[in-house]
Amino acid sequence: MEIPGGPIGARPLARRRVLLGAIAAPVLGATAVALGACGSDEPPPEAVDVDPSPTVEKSEALLDELALVGAYEGTLAIYPELRGSLAGITDQHRAHARELGATEADFTDLAPIPPKAADAREAITNLISRERRAAEQRAQTAEQSESAEQVRAFTFIAASESSHVPELRDIRSGVSRS
Amino acid sequence: MTYTQPDAIAAITRAIRTEQNYVFAAGLAGAFLRGAGRRRAVNQLAEHRARLQANAVLVDPSDVPATPPGFTPESPITNPKTARSALAALSNTLVGVYADVASVTEGADRATAIAWAQASARDAVRWGVASQAFPT
Repeated sequence: MEIPGGPIGARPLARRRVLLGAIAAPVLGATAVALGACGSDEPPPEAVDVDPSPTVEKSEALLDELALVGAYEGTLAIYPELRGSLAGITDQHRAHARELGATEADFTDLAPIPPKAADAREAITNLISRERRAAEQRAQTAEQSESAEQVRAFTFIAASESSHVPELRDIRSGVSRS
Repeated sequence: MTYTQPDAIAAITRAIRTEQNYVFAAGLAGAFLRGAGRRRAVNQLAEHRARLQANAVLVDPSDVPATPPGFTPESPITNPKTARSALAALSNTLVGVYADVASVTEGADRATAIAWAQASARDAVRWGVASQAFPT
């Protein structure tokens, strides 16, 4: 799933674009070390350790999206009766995470976060709190982003997460108290 | 701040046009809605008119599109169901519109555009559609 393009020339945002800043630093750093040791009149360069697949540091926003997926999966593991209501929102967080650079391995490695709740209603209330906090954080990131594409991406995600709050309230109102 | 770059003017004038459509649609929809839905539509008239005015000051007055004499919704508004679905669709459209505005503005103007994108996404859900990962 990709961010829709707008009429002002904004293109769908591939996840590598959002990650570009994070990837560029380690890759360029490694290249600079290797090239710096190459000179025609100099002795052969000592071996340098260049990681063939540099680990890309995950952004705070990506880690938070993965935590949200974990929180939903943890809730669904304890309260499977909510699957019909919460599966769609969980998928939206996966889409957000992919947009921010998540790989399928990230989802495979993800451990469900069990809710600290006495019943399904309280578990949904916890999810509402998480969504509200996430929406605020994504909005702040959008405000502070330097590239127009990042501003768009984080605004869409902030809006989506903000819309989960009334949706979860509706879901909660249909869940009976235990 | 007055924005003069073409992409900023394009994004802001699109926001003005979409808000004009929303005001028309909310007025039309209000005639078919009752109770809380009607109250929400009426409240939104004032809210979206205020957004219109706030957007208009971001560009030169000569760039502000005139209010059209009428509005033809994408699908006819003829009953409560179509009224809600028209307002939901326009609310989701406004999310993308304000994401564009956010991307071409700065400071408080950007913060406002982001807040309105979020409010529009919530409105779409309140008008009865499911949330989306990237609302359109």
